[in-house]
Amino acid sequence: MTETPEETKPEPAAQASEAKSAQPAKPAKPAAADAEVSRRGFFSWAAVAWVGFTAAAGGCLTAWGRFMFPNVLYEPPTSFKVGPPSDFAPDAVDERFVESNGVFIVNDQGQLYALIAICTHLGCPPNWLEAQNKFKCPCHGSGYYRNGINFEGPTPRPLERAAISIDPDDGQVLVDKAQKFLWERGQWDDPSSFLTA
Amino acid sequence: MEAIKSIINFLSYPEWSFTLSLILFGLAMWSKALWTKAGGWIMLILITVFFGLSLFDPNFFVVVAKPDNVPIVMMIYIIGFFWWYAMYKAHQNDRRIEAGEPTFEKSESEDRIFTWPDLVFSEFICMVLLTVGMVLWSILLKAPLEEPANTSVAPNPSKAPWYFLGLQEMLVYFDPWMAGVVLPGLIIVGLMAIPYIDTNKKGNGYYTFKERKTEIVLFLFGFVILWSELIVIGTFLRGPNWNFFGPYEYWDINKVEPLVNVDLSEIIWIKILGVGLPGHWFVREIFGLLFTAFYFLVLPVLLIKNKFIDGFYQKMGPTRYYVGMFLFLTMMLMPIKMYLRWFLNLKYFVHIQEFFLNL
Amino acid sequence: MEALKNLQKSIVKSQIWKSIFRVGIPTDNRKRALAMLGNVVLHLHPIKVKKSGLRMSYTWCMGGTAFFLFLVETITGILLMFYYRPTVEYAYFDMVDLREAVAFGIMRELHRWGAHAMVISVWLHMFRVFMTGSYKPPREFNWNVGVILLVLTLLLSFTGYLLPWDQLAIWAITVGSNMARATPVLGHEGPGAALLQIGGTKLIHVGSDARFGLIAGRTIGNGTLIRFYVLHCVAIPFVAACLIAVHFWRVRKDGGISGPM
Repeated sequence: MTETPEETKPEPAAQASEAKSAQPAKPAKPAAADAEVSRRGFFSWAAVAWVGFTAAAGGCLTAWGRFMFPNVLYEPPTSFKVGPPSDFAPDAVDERFVESNGVFIVNDQGQLYALIAICTHLGCPPNWLEAQNKFKCPCHGSGYYRNGINFEGPTPRPLERAAISIDPDDGQVLVDKAQKFLWERGQWDDPSSFLTA
Repeated sequence: MEAIKSIINFLSYPEWSFTLSLILFGLAMWSKALWTKAGGWIMLILITVFFGLSLFDPNFFVVVAKPDNVPIVMMIYIIGFFWWYAMYKAHQNDRRIEAGEPTFEKSESEDRIFTWPDLVFSEFICMVLLTVGMVLWSILLKAPLEEPANTSVAPNPSKAPWYFLGLQEMLVYFDPWMAGVVLPGLIIVGLMAIPYIDTNKKGNGYYTFKERKTEIVLFLFGFVILWSELIVIGTFLRGPNWNFFGPYEYWDINKVEPLVNVDLSEIIWIKILGVGLPGHWFVREIFGLLFTAFYFLVLPVLLIKNKFIDGFYQKMGPTRYYVGMFLFLTMMLMPIKMYLRWFLNLKYFVHIQEFFLNL
Repeated sequence: MEALKNLQKSIVKSQIWKSIFRVGIPTDNRKRALAMLGNVVLHLHPIKVKKSGLRMSYTWCMGGTAFFLFLVETITGILLMFYYRPTVEYAYFDMVDLREAVAFGIMRELHRWGAHAMVISVWLHMFRVFMTGSYKPPREFNWNVGVILLVLTLLLSFTGYLLPWDQLAIWAITVGSNMARATPVLGHEGPGAALLQIGGTKLIHVGSDARFGLIAGRTIGNGTLIRFYVLHCVAIPFVAACLIAVHFWRVRKDGGISGPM
């Protein structure tokens, strides 16, 4: 909205019709004299009202959207203990925690790490095929080496590692799935992504 | 017999069956003899003989006779029939137009008939027949129910509902964000845009092929080849590990298919230029990015040079032309990517894992 | 015989009968028109239709079939809801009951096969409308309503796929919903998701992205089941029914069943 009447002056025809439409608001005064003022007043109130209405509607939609995101989940905890490090034989893939917690514990070349058992393609659980020395996803055939690096099928990237550490109290291996380490971002060098056996 | 089966198995592998179906599709759209009663009967008999004989093969029978796959066999027949029927009526009308007669619809459109009883009763009869058909189908075939859900054991292969198997087939060739989000979204947007892009005023309210060849060929290519055929492939020919199996092949869970796919950046930097991959993603993917830019930004402009396409440009105007061309090129990305995968093992044009951006 | 005729006469002439059916069986053109105007179901139709639009060889009756199947799905769906409990503990066993223990145990079959048939008939309806060029002006908007109805049909079928809670169901939904992870910007594995962060804290992660909102959890679970159940039984059918009404209304307003201009 502009301040000076000179700038806002519309086409004569439009002015006449708008003056007419503004008339009911102030029926006592002659329309031509201060149609400018009453129109500006009317429009700025309308603008406030529309902005307010849009904001309220947007707020309702946001609240509605937020409502659909639950605050409490009844899912197994993301952090769990898997036993002492000596439980994991060298150069082996441990499948004991796949069903309960969804991780493979891999002991490979002196490193112990937890690979999250979710195919990075479409989220199916990959199987460990000991004979072929690879993880294979049943849904679309993505294949990963023992260390989780992808080499076949449609998947774009390797499996993800979960955070792994030794609990200082009882010396058990502690896996935390809430923290993920992605190979393509160079995060596998992070000391909390593996244990040195 | 075994020799014929192994030939069919070989030919049904996607690189050959897709090529074959492209050729057959082209021939069919060009042909006139196919869209006659004789042509229709011959096709029906051929397909039925193929299905009938194939049912004797145990591997074929196991896959086709699953209760959830029955609608897809029905779909092949129904879509085939209505494809033939629409084209049959279109060619009939084209002949009438050529002879200067009004179309079949035109000759009757002036006649107005009371809704009661003609329309109301034919609707009623349709409803009764459909109900009888549905009840019979439900009595004859049990709805499938497998073991209770188990979140740690996935069946092999895991398939989406059958009507999404075309999309799942696209996932073999595209990254999820393309195949699962962008392309389905563009299919919907593209369908919705059809009435606003198509400026051809002819062919409104009657069957015709001659007056709107390009529209019909493009639509049928999308609907029959890219949508329906991929559903059929995904249902009948994708087995364990999402490996491809011919119609008479046993679904062997241990079948090993070497899938060594490489990105465009690896093909160019390593195989052709003989140097290693550059470290920075922008330099590494520069060829893929250039190709994508060329495909979507330069190609539509270049294509106007073609006389046939220029005709559309003149008729449609720039906005309609570029929107339509973008949708068309996106659709064609599918077959292009399929062929590059089959013959060059190409995985992605652009592969920027840093941003999860793969194309 | 005479007695039966008298009985029929007295029923048709009774106040109750006349209060329901204003116009008897139409015998002349005036009554044919009044029958269409006076009946809430029949008034979906115009009084007269083009002869060409009446032909099944033209319409294939696919739109009507799709609508009829929508009604079949509604009725069988309501019946199924009497026995089905949407929780992980009971859902599968209620399915087994529906199959083995409930009288006339074909309701689930009718519902499932009806859904398949509805998807195919909606496709063919669209195919027919395309082949006759019926999306052209003045019917552009109604084509768009139709495309949305097609998407809703697929979504109805997809959400219903999870409800049996068997292996087929959860893995189909796992594969189907995982694509939402890769939604540009809004999925935690989609391009551009890393842009949405405040001071190093990611706004889009596995517990806040598009897929999380869709399935109400990090994995398919009880939250997903109840969510899909409500979408399948109430939310999507409600939207679809509204749009079907718009679709039919616009068929009438845009000049009835299409025909040559």
